[in-house]
Amino acid sequence: MNPSTGSGQAAGVRFALLTAIGLALFPFAFHAIDGYGGLATQILIMSIASIGFNLLLGYTGLLSYGHAMFYGGGGYVAALLLIRLMPQHPNLWLAVLGATLAATVLALLVGALAVRLYGIYFALLTLAFAQMIFFVVEQSQDWTNGDDGLQNFPAALLPLGPYSIDLGTPLPALPLGAFGNLSDIKLWYVFAALVLFGVMVGVRALTRSQFGEVLTAIRENEERSALIGFNAPAYRLAAFAISGALTGLAGALRALYDGSVPIDAVGIDRSGSFVIYTIVGGVQTLLGPVIGTGLIMYLESVLSARIDYWRLVEGVVFVAVVVFLPAGIVGTVTKTVQERTQKSRALLTESLRARSGGAQAGPERLSK
Amino acid sequence: MVALTQALLNGLVLGLIYVAIAVGLTIVFGTLRLVNFAHGAFYAIGAYIGLVVAQQWGLGPALVAAPVAVALFAVVLDRILLRPFYNKDATSQILVTFGIALIVEETLRLIFGSTTLQYPPLPALATSFAAGPIVYPAYRLLFALGVIVMLVLVWLFMEKTDYGLIVRAGVRDRTMVQLLGGNVKAASTIVFALGAAIAGLAGAAASPIYSIAPGTGFAFLVPSFVVVVVGGLGSFWGAVLGGLLIGELQSITTLVFPPAANVVIYLCMAVVLLLRPQGLLGESEVIRQ
Repeated sequence: MNPSTGSGQAAGVRFALLTAIGLALFPFAFHAIDGYGGLATQILIMSIASIGFNLLLGYTGLLSYGHAMFYGGGGYVAALLLIRLMPQHPNLWLAVLGATLAATVLALLVGALAVRLYGIYFALLTLAFAQMIFFVVEQSQDWTNGDDGLQNFPAALLPLGPYSIDLGTPLPALPLGAFGNLSDIKLWYVFAALVLFGVMVGVRALTRSQFGEVLTAIRENEERSALIGFNAPAYRLAAFAISGALTGLAGALRALYDGSVPIDAVGIDRSGSFVIYTIVGGVQTLLGPVIGTGLIMYLESVLSARIDYWRLVEGVVFVAVVVFLPAGIVGTVTKTVQERTQKSRALLTESLRARSGGAQAGPERLSK
Repeated sequence: MVALTQALLNGLVLGLIYVAIAVGLTIVFGTLRLVNFAHGAFYAIGAYIGLVVAQQWGLGPALVAAPVAVALFAVVLDRILLRPFYNKDATSQILVTFGIALIVEETLRLIFGSTTLQYPPLPALATSFAAGPIVYPAYRLLFALGVIVMLVLVWLFMEKTDYGLIVRAGVRDRTMVQLLGGNVKAASTIVFALGAAIAGLAGAAASPIYSIAPGTGFAFLVPSFVVVVVGGLGSFWGAVLGGLLIGELQSITTLVFPPAANVVIYLCMAVVLLLRPQGLLGESEVIRQ
């Protein structure tokens, strides 16, 4: 049974609150396990891309093997906007918005062609476009610096009312013991956290809206949804565009944060990384892509410093998840918890029924 | 004219490597309905094993050892991991085989290092074939001939032997074939191993021409998917036609306008996917996978 609108809103507020608290505490908890502020920021930024990717794979059922074209495309456009158009007054808003817009347009163009295909054909067509973009970027030496990527572009400032904020500024110093120091965190983290927060709340609302329900219906049974009167390709195209836009946004943020765009940003391994992040965390869940991104990027950082075969570990983890936990970490945990609560609820109902000797004790009474 | 002929010959050799990888991809898809992103790994394993054996005992033993070892690996992989995925959707198959490809690539990197390896200078590789002004390495021509012979053998196997028959019938109606006493399971293992062995052999045979690195498998897999898609997923002759087409297209573009050489094959794939998703020689029933 669906929760009533009132409790749905309460759940939404609770979700927003928990997300905000989680994002605020994350870098400090992360410090305690050897993570650092910069990596925390990168994880948040990449999570935005993974959420975008999952909107397509999880909610629409389409596996894109070319999301690097949006991610890297966003990065290159942001960097080029700064270098070519505003070297004097580098404006972060304009760079990010321009890049996101460019990624959206690209997604609309590719999507218009791709959404007619399914399964392997869809995956390969997205791969084909991503490869074309990769080689065009690689060959356009004058603009993109080819294999070397773009570096040393002007650090963008964030104009906000009368202020011009430099996101590289650290927070005030405040020792926190095992959790590091408040000044380990730069304003960049705060900014990335705000964007991710907005994306999570927005995507949650989107997937719970009628739009999201129609997407799921199309994923489960396209013919039936089409017969009811929904224009399936249009819905899939919309999902593809939003997915590309979020991934482009992440690419732009990452480029501006790192101060560089490597050629790998448009490469096939990058496309694969979104697949890995999302599957490991849990497809069809909102939190899954975030957890998966965080876990894999953390493993990469910790392991690559100690062993030189961390990618082997990554591959083994990925295959293990695909084979044993197809719902991913978050999906499996959620399922287990739900089953447990249902079981205990059923037990409770039964015992109450036995005690009252009647059948009046329904779940409604128990939920309070 | 000389340059064009050499480009055409290069395209033929490159195309035949693609064909050798694509044939395995396509028969495994056509018969088992399995999308195998790990197929490039078979090529890479074959190349490395071939290199190691060739350094010790020469090229001949290498060309025997590589396909045998790769086929064994494929059987184990099939039995342990891939079986449960035969009847799942294409997306799950892509995911698990992509993961396997990652593991193989990283294992190769761990054993052999990240550096690109070159074949030892064998006398057989130094000879050239000359016809008038056109000089071409003899080994490449021999390689092309070898692939063609292998293709004929594979085709004969699939069309003329009982195993090929069981496999092709099993695709249509598995239960019926089993009721009639055909061992579909054994036959599909053989098909899978055969596809892998061809890729492994191609890896060992082609590595004197193209250098070897851990990423080689995936680097060849991606164009091979282009080939299979252009020719038609599941179609044997489609893979052959697609491979030659893509090889020549890439080689001639390299001659005429090098920067576009890589873009053009993906453009070709995109056009085919959009206008004729079942590929040039494919059946139209497989589009909605």
